[in-house]
Formats: sequence, C-alpha cells, structure tokens
Amino acid sequence: MEPAERLNAAVVAVGRLRDRRAFQDLFDHFAPRVKGYLMRLGAGSAVAEDLAQEALLTVWRKAALFDPGKASASTWIFTIARNLRIDAIRKERRPELDPNDPALLPESERAADEGLDWAQAEDRLRLALAQLPREQSQIIELSFLAEKPHSIIANELGLPLGTVKSRIRLAMARLRLALGERA
Amino acid sequence: MSITHHPGEELLLGYASGAANEAVALLVASHIALCPACRAKVRGVEAAGGSLLSDMAPVALGQNAYQAVLARLDEPTAAILRGANLGGDVPVPLQPYAGANFADVPWRHITTGLAHYPLLSKGGTRARLIRAMPGAAVAAHTHRGEEWTLVLTGSYHDATGRYAAGDVQSTTPELSHEPKADDGPVCINLAVTDAPLVFSGLVHKLIGKLHGF
Repeated sequence: MEPAERLNAAVVAVGRLRDRRAFQDLFDHFAPRVKGYLMRLGAGSAVAEDLAQEALLTVWRKAALFDPGKASASTWIFTIARNLRIDAIRKERRPELDPNDPALLPESERAADEGLDWAQAEDRLRLALAQLPREQSQIIELSFLAEKPHSIIANELGLPLGTVKSRIRLAMARLRLALGERA
Repeated sequence: MSITHHPGEELLLGYASGAANEAVALLVASHIALCPACRAKVRGVEAAGGSLLSDMAPVALGQNAYQAVLARLDEPTAAILRGANLGGDVPVPLQPYAGANFADVPWRHITTGLAHYPLLSKGGTRARLIRAMPGAAVAAHTHRGEEWTLVLTGSYHDATGRYAAGDVQSTTPELSHEPKADDGPVCINLAVTDAPLVFSGLVHKLIGKLHGF
C-alpha cells in the first residue's frame, strides 16, 4: 500500500475500530510534522509540542468524521492543525462550514470531486507545487508557512496588489489542473 | 441561486492556508456555505496544505509525548456530532457571531431604510452586517483599503452591476460607489474591510472617518 493510502486506512481504522496500533502509526508519522509546521510558523518548541499532541488527540476523537472520499489523511490533519493554531495562538475563532448545513447546495456540478482519489491527488499536487515558477510558489509558501495574507505579501515583496493576485490565480489554476479539475 | 460574482482566489487561498484574518475568513466561509464551486476550490487548496504537511521536516517530540497522549485517549469528551442542524436563515459560519435568524439580530439604525450590526473589529479589519430595505441607498463612498461585500439575502446594484444572494463584490480604494437595494426581499450583506498594515508614511490614509457609516 502506498504511504498515503496506509495513512488514510489508519484514520479509518481509528474511527471505526478505535484501533490503537493504527493510532500509533498516525502519531509517529504526523505528530513530528505537525510540530515542524507549527514551529515553521513561529511557535516555540514547547507550544508546538503541546499543540502537536492536541492535534493528534483531536485525530483520535474525530476520526469517525474522516471521509477519505473528501480528503487525504494529511489534508484532514493539516486542517486540524491549522484550526488549532488559529484558536490557541491567534486566539481567533475559525469560521467553518457545517457539513449538514441546510444552506449547502448539492455539489452536482463538482460531482467528479467526490470520486477523486485524494491520496494520488496529493502526489500530483506535490509535483505541481514543486514545478510552480518560483514567483508563484513563493507566494503560496508565504501564505501557508508564514501566515501572510495577500496584502502583506504585496507589501513585503514590494509588488502591486494586482500582481500578487494574478500570481495566486495562476498558481491556483495549476494546482486545480493537477487535481484534474477544470481550471 | 445563481452566483456570478465570486471572491478573488487570493481570499480562497488565505482562508484555506489559515493566513486570512478572522473577518476575511468569516466572509469566505459564509460564501462557500452558499457556493459549491468555491467550496471545491477551497478543498483543493487545503489538499495543497496536506502535501506541504507531508513534506514538512519532522521535529521530534519529547520522549514521553506518545505516552502522554495515550493517557488522555479515554478522557470523556463532549459528543462530536457531524453536522448538527442548527436551523435558522443565517449561514452556519455566521451563526456564532449573529445568531441563527436575521430577524433576531439587534440591528442598529443608521438612516432611513438602513441598519447595521458590527460583528467584529480587530487590528484594522472589521466585519458587520448591513441591512437595506428595498430602495434604500448607501451614500456615495470610497474605501480605505480593500472591502468585500457578501450578499446574504435580497440584492443590490451600483454602477458596476447587480449583486444577489451568494455574490461577493470586491472593491478597491479607487472605487466610489453608491449601492442601492433592489425591490424585493430585504437586502442583508456581510461587509468586511481589511486595512492592511502599511508603513508609517501611509498611515494617515488608513485613519479617518469612513464615509457613510
């Protein structure tokens, strides 16, 4: 089994069977990466350690909600770490969708999305990210790993806002192409 | 509902990466509650976040980290429910700020036909609900920094076009406009202003009263 598929299966096993062996796999793989992510974003080692533990505890508690048809394990855990960080470090609320929101419209126009193999899609995305022109990948990185909104990025790079926006548009179109979606 | 005006991709990126401030995140979350196309885009960007996390250089945890987590696995926790149905006509991401029903929002009167309700204000960014009765117009105004308006109910128009439920109008500081609510259902909008940090020479541009309200 490919590593990404193994990790997906581990989350499913934790959700359905409360499988502690699978949980330990997830912990060993993800906790050090979540800690690395948090430190990259400026957290001190002790805080990052606490939050990484908290993130994996959240994985244990919410594993039954994980849907491998909608995200890979690493994407799902990224969103958990991102939201924990916003809550604990920025002390902000994170506005999120409720999956059963009656206002949600059926995703019929994007039905292809549901059947997507997210584990494979992640490999294609990784490749696409690596192949982005530096001027585009730099902005994506500043957004994910330095928490800079587009206006601050423009300011720091000394670029017009419109230039930053169009680089983001180009980068996102390439990522969507890698996902096999209409750009 | 046919949505024709979507938020810029820089907002979707900011929301998915976590870089967007709370007010912008609130706008994007409320839009994607109404827009499947942008919801799919956000999911795609989050997948990029997943692959960045996979590639992150691991930083070893303390020796007892796993044991510490293991000891907490059986802690009792509140039931985690998927998709509790909260009801109400306010999009779910907005409900913690505004309550479940627009009718119960403690609206504050501005002028005839216009009312607002501030939701949050932090570090130069603000989010508020604006309610315009049919035909009510907001006095001509310009913007300090970028501003985004998400239509939640009804519709309005200005010289740039017509905006209906689910649409996001993005305005830049150059735009001067005079939005006017259309006839029909009451027009309720979520308005977010984002005044970016700018070096001191430009600070005066960010200060000063907002026109209109």
